[in-house]
Amino acid sequence: MLEVEGLAKRYGDVLALQDLTVSVEEGQCLVLLGRNGAGKTTALRCMAGVLLPSGGMVKVDGIDAADDPAAVRARVGLMPEVPGLYERMSVKAYLDYFGAIYDIEPNTRRSRIDELLEVFELTDAGDRWLGTFSKGMRQKVALIRATLHRPRLVLADEPTSALDPDSARRAWIYLKDLQRKGSALVICTHSMEEAEHLAGDIGIMSAGRALAIGNLVELRRRSGLKMRQEVREMPTLQDIYLAIVDNHRDLAEVRTA
Amino acid sequence: MIWPKLERRKAALVAARDLRDAVSELRLILAMVGLTLAIPMGAGSGVRALAAFGGGTAVVDRLSLVGAFFVVFIPASFSLVLALESFVGERERTTLEVLLSTPLREAEIYAGKVVAVLTVSLTLCYGGLIVYCLVAFPGLGYFPLGILLALALSTICQVAAMVAGAVIISLNARTMRAANVMASFIILPMSVVLQVEAALILLGRAEFLWCFALLMIVVAIVLLRMGFNGFSREALLARDAGLGHPMRRAMGVVRASFGRRPAFLRLIWMRRIPVLIAAAGFPIGALAGFVAGSSSAIPPAVVRPVLSSLVRSAGGGGAVEEAMAIFAHNLLAFLLVALLAVLTLGLSGFLLTFAPGFLLGFAAALSSWTIALSGIVPNGLVEIPAAIIAGGLAIQVGATAMHMDARGGWTARVLAALADYVRALRWLVPALAVAAVLEVWLG
Repeated sequence: MLEVEGLAKRYGDVLALQDLTVSVEEGQCLVLLGRNGAGKTTALRCMAGVLLPSGGMVKVDGIDAADDPAAVRARVGLMPEVPGLYERMSVKAYLDYFGAIYDIEPNTRRSRIDELLEVFELTDAGDRWLGTFSKGMRQKVALIRATLHRPRLVLADEPTSALDPDSARRAWIYLKDLQRKGSALVICTHSMEEAEHLAGDIGIMSAGRALAIGNLVELRRRSGLKMRQEVREMPTLQDIYLAIVDNHRDLAEVRTA
Repeated sequence: MIWPKLERRKAALVAARDLRDAVSELRLILAMVGLTLAIPMGAGSGVRALAAFGGGTAVVDRLSLVGAFFVVFIPASFSLVLALESFVGERERTTLEVLLSTPLREAEIYAGKVVAVLTVSLTLCYGGLIVYCLVAFPGLGYFPLGILLALALSTICQVAAMVAGAVIISLNARTMRAANVMASFIILPMSVVLQVEAALILLGRAEFLWCFALLMIVVAIVLLRMGFNGFSREALLARDAGLGHPMRRAMGVVRASFGRRPAFLRLIWMRRIPVLIAAAGFPIGALAGFVAGSSSAIPPAVVRPVLSSLVRSAGGGGAVEEAMAIFAHNLLAFLLVALLAVLTLGLSGFLLTFAPGFLLGFAAALSSWTIALSGIVPNGLVEIPAAIIAGGLAIQVGATAMHMDARGGWTARVLAALADYVRALRWLVPALAVAAVLEVWLG
C-alpha cells in the first residue's frame, strides 16, 4: 500500500528528512516515534502527496507521489497535528464540505457523517459551530474528516493527544476497525501506550533519520536492553525508545548540508 | 499565456464556503452594507443639494463624477481585508494546510478564494454605485455613462489587483499581523493609482479613463498570474522550517546575490531583450512627444514648465557647480528608477528613456528636430546609452519581481537582479560624470 524508499526532504539549507525507507501493507499500522523536530510531520506530508520529496520515492497504491500527487492525495486521509477547523461552520456542514471535495455522493456522505458522529459521540453537537468545540471534540472532528472518504492510507499526526482516556480508547478502536477493513495506517505519536496499542511496526526517528524500524521484539533486540542486568523485567516500549535515542545522541539537531 | 487546469465544480465549492464564511459575521456585514449604502446616499444628496442651491453646471457635473469614484473606492478597499483574511488568516489558523492535504489543485483553491472575495467586494462596489446613481443623477440632466462604465471596469481590476497582492503577501507572511504591515506594499501603489484615476475623472475625458481601465486590466492579469504561480503547497508549507536567525539569513541572501554574477559586458548581452526594450523607449518617447506637441494633445503650457525646471536644475553658478548639478540630477534619476523598478514592475526603467525622448520630441514639435537634437549633443552620446543600459536592467528587475515560482526564491531572484543593477552603476556613474562634463564644457 505504502512504499517509501530513500525519502529525503530539504527546506532550503535544512535537511528535514533523509534516507527514510519504510513500507506498510494493507491492514498494517506503522507508528513513528521521535521527539519534536525529528522529521515525522515532514515524512507524513511527503507520504500524503502534499510535499514533493527532494529525493527518493513515495508510492501509494502503486502511484508515485512525484508523478501524480493529486491521485495520491485522493487515496490518503491526512490528519495534521493541529485540527485546522473552520470556526464558523457547523460540524455537519464542515464534514459535508470535505465529503464533497472527495467526491462522495451526497446521500452516502450524509449517512457516513451521521454514522461517524455517532461513533465519536458528537451527534448532539452536529449543528453547533466548530468554534464552540473543546480541544478534544475538535480532534475527533479532524479524525472523522481525515477518514470520511474511507482512504486506503490513513496518516495521523498525534491523533489522540487532546483526547481523554475514554475517547482515546474509542479512537483506537475506530482506527483498528479501519485496519481490519484494509486501510494502512501511519501514526505519529508521543504516547507509548498508543504506539503499543496500534503498532505492527514501530519506527524511531531522530534528526530526520529513522534510527530503527521493526516490531517490538526486533526493537528490543536493537536496544540491547535485554542484556542489561539492572533490568529485571521485560523492558517497556518507553525504555526501548529512550535507549535507542540515547545510542544516537551524536546526531546533529539541525541538519545543514 | 497558459492557464491552469481546474475543475470548476471544485473551485465553486471553495468559493461557496469562503463566501458563506465572509457573510456569516453579522456585525461585519452590517458595517460593510451600512457604509456601502450610507456613503452613496450622503454623497448623492450632497450633489443634489449643490445642484439645487446653484452650484453651477460644470462644478456639479464634475462633483457628481468625483462622488461616483468615492462611493466605489470605499467598498473596493474592503477587498484587501477580505483577501488577507482568506489567504493569510487561513494559513495562520492552519485551515489552509487541511485544504492543501485534499485532492484539490492549487488552481481550484486559488480561483475559489479569488472569486469569493471579488463577489463580496464587487457586489458592495456596484451596489453603492447604483444607489449613488439613483440618488444623484435623476433630474440632473447629466449622466456620464461612458465614464461610469470605465470606472466600473477599472474597479474590477483594482479589486483583482488587491486580491492578487494579498495572495503574494500570504506567501511571505505567516500571521495576520505581519500581513497587515506588508499590506503597505499594496496600499501605497494603489493610492497612487487612485490619485491618477481621480485626476482623470476630474478631467472628465472618458477616453483617458478607458485607457486607464485597459492599463488596469493588464496590471490585474499580471498580478493574478503572479499570485497563482506563487500559490503552491511547497511555498505555503515547506517554509515552516529554517526560520531562525532572520538577519543572518537575510545577509546571506544579499551576499549570495552579489556572488557569481556576470561581468558588465556579459551582463548587457544576457539582458539584451530588456536593454532593447529600454532602447526602443527613446524613439517611441520622441515620437509620442512630437505627436503630442504638434497635435496640441498636451498644451505647451503644461510641458514648458517641466523643460524650464530641468534647465533651472542645471544650476546658475559656475561651470563646476553646473556639472555637479547635472550629474547629481542624473544620478538621482538612476537611483530612483532602480528603487521604483520592483513597485512599478519595471515601468520605471522604460520611463528612464521614454521621458527624455518625449521631451525631445515635444521640443522638436515646438521648434525643429535640428534645434532639439543640438540640445542633447554631445552629452547625449554618453548619457543615452547609459540610460538605455540602466533602463534595461531596471526592466529586468521588474520582470524578475513579477515572476513567481512555485518553489519560492522570489527574494533571492529580485536581489540578484538589483545586485546586477548596483554592479552596473560602477560603469554607469562615471559615464554620467563624463556626460555632465561634456554638457557643460562642450554642450
